[in-house]
Amino acid sequence: MTQTFKMDEPLPRLLDETRQGLIGTPMNRPDGPLKVSGRADYAADRLPDGTAHGVLVRATITKGKVTRLDESALAGIEGVVAVLSGPNFVRNPAQGMAGESPVQPGPRVDYHGQPIALVVAETFEAARDAAQRLVVEYDDAGGAEVDPDSASEVETDDPDATGDWDEAWGRAAAKVDVTYTTPGQVSAAMEPHAALAHWDSGRLTLHGSQQMLRFNRKELADAVGVDPSEVRILSPYVGGGFGSKLGIGAEAVSAALASRDLGRPVRVVMARQTVFDAVLRRTQTSQHVRLAADADGRLLALGHDDLVSNLPEESFAEPTTNASQFTYGAAALRFQQSVARIHRTPSGSVRAPGEAVGMVVLEAAVDELAGELGMDPVELRLKNIPDTAPLTGQDYSGRRLADCLRQGAERFGWAQRPKAERDGDWLIGCGMAAAARKNMLTKAAARVRLTGAGAVVETDMTDIGTGSYAILAQIAGELLGLPESKVEVRLADTDLPGASGSGGSFGAGSTGSAVFLAARRIREQLAAQLGCEPGELTLQDGIARGANVEKSLADLVQDELVGEAEIASGEAAKSHLSAGWGAHFCEVAVHAWTGEVRVRRMLGLFDIGRVLNRKTATSQAVGGMIWGLGGALTEELHHDPRTGHIANRDLANYHVAAHADAAGRIEADFVDDRDDWANPMQSKGVGELGISGSGGAVLNAIHAAAGVRIRHLPATPDKVIAALEAAGR
Amino acid sequence: MRIRFALNGEPCEVEAPPTRTLLDWLREERGLTGTKEGCNEGDCGACTVMVTDEAGARALNACILFLPQLEGRAVRTVEGISAPDGQMHPVQRAMVAEHGSQCGFCTPGFVVSMAVGHLNGRTDWDDVLAGNLCRCTGYAPIVRAAEAAAEEPAPDWMRDVPPEARSATSVAEGGAPDAPGGYADTGGDWGHTAPMAATGASREGDPGEASEAVRPESADALAAWYVENPDAVLVAGATDVGLWVTKSLRDIGSVAFLGGCADLKRVERTAETIRFGAMVSMTDVLAVLRETHPSYAAMVRRYGSEQVRNAATIGGNIANGSPIGDNPPALIALGATLHLRRGDERREMRLEDFFLDYGRQDRRPGEFVEAVSLPASAPAFRVYKLSKRFDQDISAVCGAFNLAVENGTVTAARIAFGGMAGIPKRAAAVEAALTGRPWTEDTVTAALPAFAEDFAPMSDMRASAAYRLEAAGNMLRRYFADMSGQATDVREITA
Repeated sequence: MTQTFKMDEPLPRLLDETRQGLIGTPMNRPDGPLKVSGRADYAADRLPDGTAHGVLVRATITKGKVTRLDESALAGIEGVVAVLSGPNFVRNPAQGMAGESPVQPGPRVDYHGQPIALVVAETFEAARDAAQRLVVEYDDAGGAEVDPDSASEVETDDPDATGDWDEAWGRAAAKVDVTYTTPGQVSAAMEPHAALAHWDSGRLTLHGSQQMLRFNRKELADAVGVDPSEVRILSPYVGGGFGSKLGIGAEAVSAALASRDLGRPVRVVMARQTVFDAVLRRTQTSQHVRLAADADGRLLALGHDDLVSNLPEESFAEPTTNASQFTYGAAALRFQQSVARIHRTPSGSVRAPGEAVGMVVLEAAVDELAGELGMDPVELRLKNIPDTAPLTGQDYSGRRLADCLRQGAERFGWAQRPKAERDGDWLIGCGMAAAARKNMLTKAAARVRLTGAGAVVETDMTDIGTGSYAILAQIAGELLGLPESKVEVRLADTDLPGASGSGGSFGAGSTGSAVFLAARRIREQLAAQLGCEPGELTLQDGIARGANVEKSLADLVQDELVGEAEIASGEAAKSHLSAGWGAHFCEVAVHAWTGEVRVRRMLGLFDIGRVLNRKTATSQAVGGMIWGLGGALTEELHHDPRTGHIANRDLANYHVAAHADAAGRIEADFVDDRDDWANPMQSKGVGELGISGSGGAVLNAIHAAAGVRIRHLPATPDKVIAALEAAGR
Repeated sequence: MRIRFALNGEPCEVEAPPTRTLLDWLREERGLTGTKEGCNEGDCGACTVMVTDEAGARALNACILFLPQLEGRAVRTVEGISAPDGQMHPVQRAMVAEHGSQCGFCTPGFVVSMAVGHLNGRTDWDDVLAGNLCRCTGYAPIVRAAEAAAEEPAPDWMRDVPPEARSATSVAEGGAPDAPGGYADTGGDWGHTAPMAATGASREGDPGEASEAVRPESADALAAWYVENPDAVLVAGATDVGLWVTKSLRDIGSVAFLGGCADLKRVERTAETIRFGAMVSMTDVLAVLRETHPSYAAMVRRYGSEQVRNAATIGGNIANGSPIGDNPPALIALGATLHLRRGDERREMRLEDFFLDYGRQDRRPGEFVEAVSLPASAPAFRVYKLSKRFDQDISAVCGAFNLAVENGTVTAARIAFGGMAGIPKRAAAVEAALTGRPWTEDTVTAALPAFAEDFAPMSDMRASAAYRLEAAGNMLRRYFADMSGQATDVREITA
C-alpha cells in the first residue's frame, strides 16, 4: 500500500508548476487562534477524573547506590498513594532517534539530580510534600569526577584528517592557534516536561510533550516492557522542544509505570528545577582551532579539535566540528574529538548540536585570521569556499553561501560600517560570520485523504512551534489545488503514519516530502479519473483541469481518495553534500566602564533552498539568531564543583535572551533557491541554521568595537572588563 | 479562608487555604488551563493574569499570587481576554497574524500582558512585555503584534468592575507540621538561605497549634494584631513569600495579607519630601520616581518585571533585608528615613542603620515597616544596576551615588551599594576619600583603592569578587562621566 520513495536523484520541480499559490506564502498557522486564547491543550493541561499525581524524587548524591527509601515520614500526609522505583526507571531521557529505552540503572546513581523514585498522591501538593519528606538512604561511592578538565577517563577518537599538516602549517604566512571554551547550555523550552499516562486493556496511552513520536513509542515500549503496538502517544501541542523532548524521559516512563501499577491515570509534571536536573544539557566544550593561510588569504591548514563531556554509557558526543569539516577547504585538515566521562547531568542534542557551539568558535577564529592577514573577513571567507566537500569529495547540492555573504554585506552596509567608533562611553563595532548546517532527510510517512469537501493530512509528525500544521497544509493544498480552509492537518498521534518527528531541522523537509508524495499519488488518481496524464493536470481552488475537461473536485471525487507515501534518504545523500548556508552581520556597543554589551542590529541572510512558508521560516531564523546571541552573551550553566549539580536551575539565573537583549533590529531573510538534491520539494531545514555562527558575529563585533577577543563564552561584563583592562584600555 | 473576587467577569467566592496560589487554583480546580506554569517563581510570565482593583488593571504572575490577595479584586485570565462568545481580542488577532505565537506555551502570558498594556494605553512594549520570556520568536513578532493592535479600541468586556472588598476577615486554620529541610537552593542569596529572616516570623521552636490568616484593613488593625502575633508572616506583594511556598515548600504559619491596608498605600508628597507607605507598589513608586529621580526610575524599570513591580512593594523590599534588593542602595544614598511601628509606638532611623548583618535587621518582634521617606529632589543622585542580563536579572552590583559639590569641591557624599556585602552598605571610606577634595578625575582615581577598604564582596555565579570590586570602582568613574554630561546609560545608546 505505502509507496516508499528513495531520494536518489532530483525530481522535477512540481511546486513551481502548481497553481494554488500557497507554497512559500506567509500563511498564518492554523493553530494560532487556539494558542492565543488558551485553548490548545498541552500535556499537563489534561486531568481526567481519578488522575493521581506523581512527583519525581531526585538523587542528592553524585555516584553510588540507593539502598533504601524510608517512607515512615510520609505516614502523616493525607492522600499519599505509592512510592515507586525499580528496574524500569530511566536514568535520563533517550538520545534523539534512539528507538530504545534509555539506560535503566536500577538503584545505581550516576549524577546529582537523577530521578530515582516517583511519589504518587491524590493531589499534586501531597505528592510534592511527600517527595520532599521521603528519606533516601544511599551508599555513596564518593570520588565522582565532575570536572571535564580534570577527568581521568577521556576517550579520544582517531582524527579525521587529510593532507600533509606539517607541510601546510610550515609554509603559512599567517596563523591562528587558539583555544575557545563554551559553557554548558540547556534548551529551556517554555513548557516543562509533562506526561499523563493511562492503561486500558493492556494498552498504554500517553499524552506527552515529545518531539519524535515514531521513536518515542519504541523507547517507551522498551522501557516499560511491552510491544510498541501496545503504546499510543499523543502530543498535539508541544511547548517548545529544541532537542529537550527528542527522547522519552523520566516523566513519561515513571507515569506509565505508576499508572500500570495503580490502575488509574497518573500525571507527572516536572518542576522547572527538575527540567534542569533531569533533561539532557548541551555539553560544555573546549575547542582548539588552528588556521593557517598563505599571504593571499587562501587556507592551507584547518584544524579543529574538541573536548566535550557525557556520562558513561551515553553514546552522544556533541559533533562540534560538523560544519568545520565542509564549510571551508584547505590543503590539510584535521578534526579530533575527545569525550570526558564525568558525572554531571548527561549531555545530548540541544538546538543545532555541533554547529551551535562549533561554528561560533570556528567563525571567531576565522575572524582572528582575517586580522592576522589584514584582510576583510567577508573577502577571506569568499576566497575559501571549496569546489567539493574537502573530506569526502562530494559535490555540494544547492549552495548560495557566496550570495549570502555578498548580498548580506551589501544590505547591512558592511563597507560603510562603523569601525571602532566611540559614542560617549560606548565602543561601537561590527562583526560578521558565516552560517552552515547540514541538511538531512529522514524516513517519514504521511497519508492524505481527499473528498469533495477537502483534504485531510494525517501523520504522527509533531509541531513543536515550528509550524508543521501550517506547512503541511500548504504542501497538500498546493498539490491538490485547495485553499488553506479546505485542508485539515491531524498530527502527533502514533496511530497515524510514522513521520520523521521534529529534530535536526529535517521535519518540514522530510515529513513535508511524504505529504508531497502522498498528495502526488492522489493527483495521479485524479488525472486518471479525468482522463489525462498527471503532467497535464492542473488543480486550483477546487477545480481540476486536464484533457480539455474541467470539473470541480466535489463532482470528480465521489469516493474518498487516499494517498499514502513514505520517503527515505537515498543515493543523493551520498553523492551530494546538502546544507543550509548563510551569513550574519552584527553591530554591537560595548560599555567602556562596565563591560556590558548591547547588540544594536543584526542581519542574517540564509539559503534554505525553497522557502515553504516565509513567516515560519523567518521566525525560525530570527529565533535561532537570538539563541546565538544569548549563547554569546548570557547563557551558561554553572555546576557545583563538589557534586556536579547544576547550580542555576531556574529561569532567573539561567539567562535566556529577554526583550531588551533583542530590542535592536534583528532581521532575517532568504536568498530564494531550489536544492534539487535535498528532497522532492527542493527545500532545506531552517530551524537550526540561524543559530549557526550568529554568536561568532557577536564576538567578532565585540572585537571590532573594543579590540578584545573573548575566547571563553559567554562574553559577560566581567570578562569584557578584564580583557579591556588587560589590553590597557 | 473565604475569598471573594470576580473571575472573567463572573463573581466568585472561594474557600481555600491562605497560601493556595491563583495558578494552582485556576488549573487544578477551575480547569482553566490556558494559564501556564513555566517556572512557578515569577521569572517567565507564562502565568500572567490581569487583576483589576480601584487603582486600575495590572498584569500579575498567578504563580506567586495567593488567593487572599485577590479579595475584592477582579481577575481575568487568557480565556477571558476573548469575548464570552469567543470573539478574539485585537491583540489575539494580531498575535496570530504577526506570528507572535509559535510553540504557544508562553503565549497566554504574552496575550494577557499585551491586553493589559493595550487597555492602559501603553506603547512602551519592550517594557510592558519584559516579564514574559519566549524561547521561539526572538520577541520581534510579538512586539509587532502589540504595535499592530494598538490603534484598535479596547473591547468592553475588558473593563472589569471589582467587587467591593469585604471587611476584615480572620479565619483560624489548622496548623500543619513544618516541612523539614526543604530545598532552599533556588538561587544562592535570593533570600532563600534564610527565608524567614527579616519577616519577624521565626520558625524556630513551636509555631503553635493553630495558625491564623488575617486581612487587616488599616495600619492600626495590623499593628494591634501583629503585636499579639509577632511570629506571623506579613504578606505584601508575595513576590518573595510566594517562593517560600512554591519553592521552599514552607508552611508559613500565621499570616497577615496587607492588601487591605489602604493607609499603607499612600504616597505623601511635599516640596521637600516624598513619603511612600510600605504597601506602595513598585509600579507606583516608579511613576513618582520618573518625575523626581529619573536615574532611580531607570533602575526600577529593570527591577523584576512589569508583573513583579505590580505586586512588589517598597516596604516589602526593605523589610526583606536582601543584600541584593535594589531599593536600599538608592534609598541610602538619598538619605532616606525608615518609619517603623510596633503597636502605637513609632520610631525612625536612617535606612542604613536598619541593616545590621546578613539576614538581620533592627526590627523588634511585632514591629513592621510603615513607610519610608526620601528627599523630593536630588539632582546629583544616580543609580546604576549591573547584571548579566539587562532585563529581569538580579543585580551583580547595584551602586547609588549622591554627591554635593560646591565651588568645585565635594562637600558631602552618600554612596551605597548592593551586592557588595551581606547587607546594603555605604561606602564610607570612598565617601571620605572624596569629601573635601576637588571634584576631578584625579580625585576619583585616587579614591578607587578605598573600595577595597569598604567592601570584601563574595564570588558567586553572578560575578566574581574581583569583578564586583572593579565594577564598583568603575561605577564611580561612570558617575563622574555622567555628571559631566557623557552618555552612560546602557539604553541611551542608539540602535
